[in-house]
Amino acid sequence: MNIIVCMKWTPDTSEADLTVSTTAKDIKKDDLDYDMNDWDRFAIEEAAQIKEKVGGKVTVVSLAPEESEDMLRECLARGADEAFQIWSDQMEGGDGYAMASVLSQFIKGRPHDLILTGTLAEDDGAGQLGGMLAAMLDIPSATLVSKIEIKDQKASFVRELEGGLYESMEMDLPCLIAVATGLNEPRFVSIRAVRKVTSIEIPNVGIDEIGIDVGKVGQSGARVEIEQVSLPPEGEGAEIIKGKPEEAAARLAEILKEKGAIG
Amino acid sequence: MENIYVLAEHRKGVIRDTTWEAIAAGRKLSSELGVELTCILLSANAAMAETLSTEAPRVMVVENPIFETMNSEAIIKTLKEVLKPSGSYVLLMGASNAILDFAPGLSVALDAALATDCFAAEVRNGKLFASRQMYSYKINSLVSFKDSERVVLTIRAGSFPYAPSDAVKGAIENVACPIDPTSLRKRFIKYVEAEKGDVDIASADIIVSVGRGIGDEPDLDVFQSLADTMGGVLACSRPIVDKNLLPKFHQVGTSGVEVKPKVYLALGISGAFQHLGGIKGSPLLVAVNKDPRAPIFRVASYGIVGDLNEVVPVLNEKIKSLKG
Ligand SMILES: Cc1cc2nc3c(=O)[nH]c(=O)nc-3n(C[C@H](O)[C@H](O)[C@H](O)COP(=O)(O)OP(=O)(O)OC[C@H]3O[C@@H](n4cnc5c(N)ncnc54)[C@H](O)[C@@H]3O)c2cc1C
Ligand SMILES: Nc1ncnc2c1ncn2[C@@H]1O[C@H](COP(=O)(O)O)[C@@H](O)[C@H]1O
Repeated sequence: MNIIVCMKWTPDTSEADLTVSTTAKDIKKDDLDYDMNDWDRFAIEEAAQIKEKVGGKVTVVSLAPEESEDMLRECLARGADEAFQIWSDQMEGGDGYAMASVLSQFIKGRPHDLILTGTLAEDDGAGQLGGMLAAMLDIPSATLVSKIEIKDQKASFVRELEGGLYESMEMDLPCLIAVATGLNEPRFVSIRAVRKVTSIEIPNVGIDEIGIDVGKVGQSGARVEIEQVSLPPEGEGAEIIKGKPEEAAARLAEILKEKGAIG
Repeated sequence: MENIYVLAEHRKGVIRDTTWEAIAAGRKLSSELGVELTCILLSANAAMAETLSTEAPRVMVVENPIFETMNSEAIIKTLKEVLKPSGSYVLLMGASNAILDFAPGLSVALDAALATDCFAAEVRNGKLFASRQMYSYKINSLVSFKDSERVVLTIRAGSFPYAPSDAVKGAIENVACPIDPTSLRKRFIKYVEAEKGDVDIASADIIVSVGRGIGDEPDLDVFQSLADTMGGVLACSRPIVDKNLLPKFHQVGTSGVEVKPKVYLALGISGAFQHLGGIKGSPLLVAVNKDPRAPIFRVASYGIVGDLNEVVPVLNEKIKSLKG
């Protein structure tokens, strides 16, 4: 069983104060902390668990600059056997389509029974790379998958619909599964576990080694162009209750009472 | 662009609301571009096209039992054939969980550009623009499409309000199913319903809801106690369920439970679209969050910018004393 996991290295923006860069084509990222995309944490865990059950090899790959090495090393500590970090300057400015083109070219040349991705990355919020990659490799795929069982060259799985409804489906291998958060419990990785994998080399692969045409990567390979990013307009918004925490809480209690909001 | 298409979404034999909103978006672009709107229906029952024909001037129907559900492989292969002769077009559909399963693969098969989860779209000087969100839904992004003849857009729910049209009577065109369903590598087995729990947040009037802001090892009793004091129930956002802190039936949102309370207190919840999508009936929404830019403050009536660990215990005591 050859499992390939695609990991995205993303800036943590959930609590950060974001500002738009001077070109207005992106946000300023210098001060942001980067880590593995939240959804992908569940993908690497699932790969490790499948390997533990049915045997095989787990390969992790990320299209990200060298600084992402810590993330890839953590993936090794989480149970991956090998990791590749793919980056060339020409890949700058690529959209999901351009990134999927690189990944598909890389994966085509290696054995793959199962490819795992997250459903969505919190930076671009696109939820597109998995499905694009599968189409380029001509294998079936599914997103938002919350349960997987591999048996008899098939993947049986459950995927989320809305309102507490799920669909149970199956696919022939090879296939691509984009996982949903919560499908497993990502293991705790100790510093010791990370230390154990320090000797494993993580190759840096450039686009010339992958053998993809420069015109297909980065900005020139992209189909979507970001014209402008902006902070959403403030709008009406909430009435912010000012004051020290105790004062604000006390005032809020009164407001709730006035509004008949205390049952 | 020569054509505008809307792909209808259905489930268990019923056209879903995402379809009407995609039609609303399609109507807007169709008037801006001056081209006709065509609705595409892939269904096990071609009669479903009747409802669509009152809303779109033209409906194309492919009827086959495989389209009982929205099987992504069947849809991608079929649309690839059906749209082959179509020249340049925009294809619109809802940004639902079923459509998330095939829109990206479809865009590759159609050799089209893709923008997912768009909340606005417009044509300026003949050029198509779409707006979507990035970076934890905190940044808006205006995008265009590089010399692309074909564009696929998925539309965020609630972005294009739909009103029934004054009875267009669209022509219905039947198209033979171009694929062999037995050759598919992906197969639907059955629908599964989530387990019902012992708390029904869907019918609660007062909801105290907690999100990732409560931290990795929270003391949930504090929040349960506040919920009890307020006479409400405890609910949560998705990451809380993912971390097994509360069972799934407590989760508010598009993939969780739809609630319609009178009061909704959001504690450490950023206000992602999929979370807000589960809150109906415009309750009195109050948010406590330490990030003044959290999207939740844009929809809340009242807010406190601060650490919930400091705010919540005091709030609980104050409410207790006010209740007397
Ligand atoms: C297809 C799909 C379906 C989804 N379905 C759902 C769904 O049904 N329900 C759902 O909730 N989500 C759903 N999501 C996920 C959704 O996109 C968000 O990721 C999720 O809602 C974020 O949860 P959160 O607000 O708790 O966490 P975050 O976005 O991480 O926000 C945490 C907030 O807590 C604040 N905070 C941190 N510490 C403190 C503190 N000490 N005091 C005060 N504030 C603090 C931070 O400023 C931040 O705003 C879905 C996503 C997808 C793609
Ligand atoms: N640069 C990348 N390198 C590796 N995997 C990626 C990359 N970008 C996206 N992915 C994978 O695709 C999923 C969806 O990302 P996105 O389409 O950006 O929302 C992520 O959860 C990752 O598993």
